[in-house]
Amino acid sequence: MMGRTSTVVTHLRRTLRHESVRTWGPLAPALGLVVVLFGGAVGLALLRSLGLLAGGTGAGPSLDAYRRLIADPEFGRSLLLTLHVAVTSTVLAIVLGIGAALLLRRLVRGRQPATTLFQLNLPLPHVVGAVAILALLGQSGLLSRVAAQTGMIEGPASFPALVFDPYAIGIIVQYVWKEVPFIGIVALAILRSTGDELEEAARTLGASPWQRLRHVILPLLLPGVLSAVVIVFAFTFGTFEVPLLLGRSFPAVLPVLAHQRYTDVDLAARPEAMAISVVITVLVLAVVLAGSVLARRTIRQEAR
Amino acid sequence: MTAVDARQVQGSSAPAGVAGQPQGTGRSVVVGAMLLLLLAPFVPLVLASLAEGYFFPQVLPDRWSTRAWRIVLDPSGRTWSALVDTVTIGVAVMVLSLVVAIPAGRVLGTRRFRGKRVVELVLLTPVLVPAVAVAIGIHVVFLRLGLAGGIPGVVLAHLIPATPYVILLSAGVFANADLELEAQARSLGASWWRTRLHVTLPLVAPGLAVAALFGFLVSWGQYVLTLVIGGGRVVTLPILLFATASGGDASVTAATALFHSLPAVVLLVATTRVLGGQGFATFGGTR
Amino acid sequence: MTDIRLEGLTRRYGSVTALDGLTLDIGGGTVTALLGPSGCGKTTALKLVAGLLDPSGGQVLFDGHDVTDVPAERRGAVMVFQDHRLFPYLSAGDNVAFGLKMRGVPRRQRRREAEAVLERVGLDGLADRHPAELSGGQQQRVALARALILQPEVLLLDEPLANLDAHLREGMRELILDVQRERDLTTVVVTHDQEEAVVLSEDIALLFDGRLHQHGAPRTFFEHPATERTARFFGAANLVAGRRHGDRVHTPLGSLRVPDGTPGGPDVWLTVRPERLVVGDTPAADGQHVQGRVVSSAFLGTRTRATVEVAGVRLTVDVADDALADVGPGSLLTLGLPAEALWTVPREATAGPTPRAADELGPVAASADGTVTSPPDRRTQP
Repeated sequence: MMGRTSTVVTHLRRTLRHESVRTWGPLAPALGLVVVLFGGAVGLALLRSLGLLAGGTGAGPSLDAYRRLIADPEFGRSLLLTLHVAVTSTVLAIVLGIGAALLLRRLVRGRQPATTLFQLNLPLPHVVGAVAILALLGQSGLLSRVAAQTGMIEGPASFPALVFDPYAIGIIVQYVWKEVPFIGIVALAILRSTGDELEEAARTLGASPWQRLRHVILPLLLPGVLSAVVIVFAFTFGTFEVPLLLGRSFPAVLPVLAHQRYTDVDLAARPEAMAISVVITVLVLAVVLAGSVLARRTIRQEAR
Repeated sequence: MTAVDARQVQGSSAPAGVAGQPQGTGRSVVVGAMLLLLLAPFVPLVLASLAEGYFFPQVLPDRWSTRAWRIVLDPSGRTWSALVDTVTIGVAVMVLSLVVAIPAGRVLGTRRFRGKRVVELVLLTPVLVPAVAVAIGIHVVFLRLGLAGGIPGVVLAHLIPATPYVILLSAGVFANADLELEAQARSLGASWWRTRLHVTLPLVAPGLAVAALFGFLVSWGQYVLTLVIGGGRVVTLPILLFATASGGDASVTAATALFHSLPAVVLLVATTRVLGGQGFATFGGTR
Repeated sequence: MTDIRLEGLTRRYGSVTALDGLTLDIGGGTVTALLGPSGCGKTTALKLVAGLLDPSGGQVLFDGHDVTDVPAERRGAVMVFQDHRLFPYLSAGDNVAFGLKMRGVPRRQRRREAEAVLERVGLDGLADRHPAELSGGQQQRVALARALILQPEVLLLDEPLANLDAHLREGMRELILDVQRERDLTTVVVTHDQEEAVVLSEDIALLFDGRLHQHGAPRTFFEHPATERTARFFGAANLVAGRRHGDRVHTPLGSLRVPDGTPGGPDVWLTVRPERLVVGDTPAADGQHVQGRVVSSAFLGTRTRATVEVAGVRLTVDVADDALADVGPGSLLTLGLPAEALWTVPREATAGPTPRAADELGPVAASADGTVTSPPDRRTQP
């Protein structure tokens, strides 16, 4: 009996020491949490968008919700607006962020405090950012007040609409304001690790300042910045509170539209909300996937 | 000569003073302007928060007052009770995510195994997928389970975006720590527990503290998950701020917003100290 | 064939002076080594020649023309870095062709020339590899090829052998010397390793603390060092305090004849290289010899190194063939000190770099005859 128990214990010990247990054991709670909660959420949205699972008007499997969305002109306008906001903010953030990194990198005096200050926006809650942009750019905001004091405008109404505007300028400004430091810090980190050395090498090989930017700095930045860009795009595509506070309610960006449909008094709109959620998720994941594939390929291509 | 002498090199890294670079003054001016632009949105907040009736077209307030700040900091007021809820939820999220993140982060940071990239991707998706989609998907289940409309449900919901941050940050912490010292301690006769307590913990504690702070901050700034899962019954600072912003007292809104920014500043200082200023770059701040 | 002249070249970093008034002529088509311990300013000097740093003072002249204000990319001096600095996103071939691309050479021609140069450095067929897929030695060769393809007038090498394993150094050294001779390249090598300087260069400039300390042919540094510091840097193991009287130096070892014209005033260090001591019962031709007891010995593969105590002074001796004499601890050994093997350098009793030597020799001096050693605080007469 004793012998048998000890064999079992030894066996148990060996199993616990096994490589895969040592790897996957500690990961299990984390993965479980993410898969159950997040996977569950996305999975349920998918099922319910297909009319499966009773929750609102579950009426058997169908693509009705998606058909209604495609037929709905509001959805189309929302989708375009969302893409416009995400693409414009991402492009602006890349260009300005890389520019900022190039400036900060060679700052002679006060580089450390400047870099710290530069990052201040990064951890700020988005609602705060949106409220701040509103207080700056709104028609009774600070800019408008300065314009009125200097006699450039007569009243709040004659200040150009920078928030709640059809071009989503306020939303885009908020995103760029928040994301330039992100791209900038990522670029700065890459440049700091190898940039100076490689640029020196390029100089002695005869590369002019412009050639160094084109053939050393940008290729070095490309993979890292591309990953950052994917994150920025995902975020600018999916944030809710910023467009809710700074944008028009019609047409609204997709996340806001999803919420509008979800809280609609008409429960029949709920599957549509689920369908919009699924569309957002799929689009974002597709961009993330495409971005990481592209990142890997550009490294190869640049090598040619 | 003076131009050259002015380029002082700080420490051992010598990027400044490299030949052929543009002079420093113009660059400083441009950087200064850029920083001013980044800080500009705070200017109206500070002015409004210190004004008594900040009406158009005042730029500087006609009457200065600490009224808004007294309202925000009043222990019996709405802001204070929202603060208590936000901190309660934030601390719970921080602790729970840290509990699952430490073992996972250690494995991800120190071991090489098949499927590691997949795990990292799986962990990254909740950060990237819009929170609205998550909130809507999970809401009905939480309703059935009785988790909607209460703090426990909101905590669970916040764990979805917070945990991945904390895990991936802790992985970085463990990857950078010199865990060879553990083997050294064991070979010198320290027990498993003593090794963890006296060797591992001191090595990783500062980094884990920053990771935990990140987890707290993700919860602290969370809006849509709280809105949907809390269903209006859980009023955290972002919810309150949003409500005041869309039709409340401008001064109180501004003071609330500034008050709501404070932990971010604390985190900024902490990361600059512990991670050398590039901690945020990992995931681009909080989402 | 570009002659280089450095005139009072100075570089300051804040309050630290990295290079202090370096004046040096580097002959066209020669290899000159800038040698010194880390922090002596040698890499700063190389970057100043390359144009990668602006000097705080002084000039760089190529063939008599002042190039101090010519930016690095137009100076015609190509630098090869210690850490190779290959572009990680480019293949070996594209790394080599980088400089040609900057000059606007068409792709096909670039490719052809890069392959030719890669072949020259012994890397044919590796053009498509990425730097990460190459060994350390191969990376260093690619870096060299990347410089050579530009047919530079001046080649600047920063510690070219330092990152290589011992067995790779020989090949790299030969490659560098071969291409240097083929093209008559004016080459400046920075190194902290005196052996590397000796095997690579025809001319050594020894730098200490940002200043030129001694300049000359490699052999002089070993055989005729000008100062104690040079002697120590070049591995002089035996420094015996002494006092000069005519052509003789009085030391604890006795009164020894030294060659005419050795440097130093009355107070000198007598130096003798471990391999120049003659071991065996047959005394040296001029009969100068001492007897001592072996304290310890170690077999070093090709020779045996023994520490021998003579009259309270410890001498390091290299014995090429230990069959000639018993070098085991405790055995008695006769050491010939032929005059031509001896050299002297000035001895400053209180000079900065010497306290270590003074400490080491303190007890020796005390136990020795007071007439041949001077108290450590007495200043040398110039």
